[in-house]
Amino acid sequence: MSNTAITEQAPINSATRGNQHGLLRGKRHYLLLAPGVFWMLVFLVLPLLMMVYVSFWTQSTFAVSPDLTIKSWVAFFSSDTYFGALIRTLRIWLTVLALTLVIGYPTALFIGQFVRNKNTQTVLLVTCVVPFWTSFLIRVLAWRPMLGKEGAINILLQKFGITSQPIEVLLFTELSVVIGMVQIYVVFMVGPIAFMLARIDESLIEAARDLGASAWTIFRKIILPLSMPGVVVGAIFVSVMVLGEFATASALSGRKVNLLGNIILTQVGSLKWAFAAVIGVVLTVVMAIVITGLLRVVNLRREL
Amino acid sequence: MHQLTSLKWILGFYTALFIVFLYGPFLVMGIISFQQGPEGGPQFPIIEWSTFWYKHVMGFAPPSRVAPLPVGEALFRSLTLAFATMIVSTVLGTMTAQAFRTQFKGSGFVFYLVVLGMMVPGILLGLGMALVSDQLGIARTWWGTTFVLHVVYTFPFAFLVMLAIFNRFDSSVEEASWTLGVSPARTFRKVTFPMIFPGVLSAMLFAFTLSYDEFPRTLFTAAGDVTMPIAIYGTFSVEIHPNLFAFGVLTTLFSLALLTVYAILMAMSVRRSQARSSGIQEEIA
Repeated sequence: MSNTAITEQAPINSATRGNQHGLLRGKRHYLLLAPGVFWMLVFLVLPLLMMVYVSFWTQSTFAVSPDLTIKSWVAFFSSDTYFGALIRTLRIWLTVLALTLVIGYPTALFIGQFVRNKNTQTVLLVTCVVPFWTSFLIRVLAWRPMLGKEGAINILLQKFGITSQPIEVLLFTELSVVIGMVQIYVVFMVGPIAFMLARIDESLIEAARDLGASAWTIFRKIILPLSMPGVVVGAIFVSVMVLGEFATASALSGRKVNLLGNIILTQVGSLKWAFAAVIGVVLTVVMAIVITGLLRVVNLRREL
Repeated sequence: MHQLTSLKWILGFYTALFIVFLYGPFLVMGIISFQQGPEGGPQFPIIEWSTFWYKHVMGFAPPSRVAPLPVGEALFRSLTLAFATMIVSTVLGTMTAQAFRTQFKGSGFVFYLVVLGMMVPGILLGLGMALVSDQLGIARTWWGTTFVLHVVYTFPFAFLVMLAIFNRFDSSVEEASWTLGVSPARTFRKVTFPMIFPGVLSAMLFAFTLSYDEFPRTLFTAAGDVTMPIAIYGTFSVEIHPNLFAFGVLTTLFSLALLTVYAILMAMSVRRSQARSSGIQEEIA
């Protein structure tokens, strides 16, 4: 059957290919999709739904029972500690997001626009990615001897006579958490932006320059808008990772800065499943708002 | 024009600073890994240069108050897990991306379902999985509950890489093969796969690296059996010692070796396809 179908349709171009062996093709589709979809439904959607469900269970000292209640929810929003953690998480997330963008964009601009040689571009990007092959946790811990009272930065500052006293706020504060996170996540901002910038058609910029546009106008009218998808993708990466963070906070703040993630961890440690689930749902909602907001700006699927 | 050259220099200088910022802690890690042991702590100044902590990591150092890292077992688990995750994610990613090459109903739903896997923070997924296994009475193991979550995390990356590859893929070659009566399975093996091989390699690299360093998902689902990141996290609560940094240096070197293998394979694959296409062109001519 397929032979006749092909000989009949072969001269016609690829536009009709979709209908070639209609039924067979349709089924093959589902066969290809089924394992992935099944995996995601069972191991991704189910656990998340379970989390929402458990957040309404009744929590006793060391166990949860499936009697529905909103007690855990009330406890979350009426407690200063937990609500404060939500605010702190949002504050640190916004700070890190803004800093990664401001610090990362010029680097991406240099790699994507000013380096014209493809090989140099690749080498620079790979250079940025290489630290990622060191364990994330070890990279976080390496900030301690950097920022401490007798750390590398204080030693250097004093040696050059910039400060006379060691700066103590550098380690075990919210500042150290922000510094650590910015350094770890900034590459996720640089990568997508540089990728989008490198794709800009050079003749577009030449045309603008020939027409007398200044460097600033070219940046504002051409480069910035065309790099927006990269900014959005980078922002999604950074947001997702920072909002779910807890390791950097516990390593660099001496457990003084507690994010929502840290609280989930301690709640699970003391078997307060229902309460941990509440915080998990709150975090999910925050994340969903952030991502849908960012996706409004750009259609991710079309840009790939 | 003059204005632009100066801008180029400023940005170039800035990028250099940026790279120093990225590598700073890295450098400190390298220096402190040579701290004197076992008394020397993870801070400046270096009391005396020594390779004590490297011996400590390898298990050659005399017993001291610093407990050795559980390198053997934990590393074995991490590597096995990363390898299995790599295979499954790449296969799933390639299959799903292959299905996306033609329009179908519900493609938006499937796309976001898959991408959700990399969007949901590990701590939430780990928590959800721990709740499910707790309620259903499934034992939490690194090769079971942890493994499936690692795939949930890395499969979207493999999928996106393959999707990007297929988007830039010239399907007329495949059509030619079908027209000549070659079966779809054989076409995939002989025509499609060699062409998408660089993409497959990238997907594998992504999946392996992400899984190897994965931590929040593992923390909640691996119960007592630690993987390497969990073992490192375990030292957070206690004092940290320079053996962690020595270990960091060693694993970095190992990863760079892996990366080199990847680069060589990639270069070989590119060269082979170039040679082949130029050969075909010569034949036609």
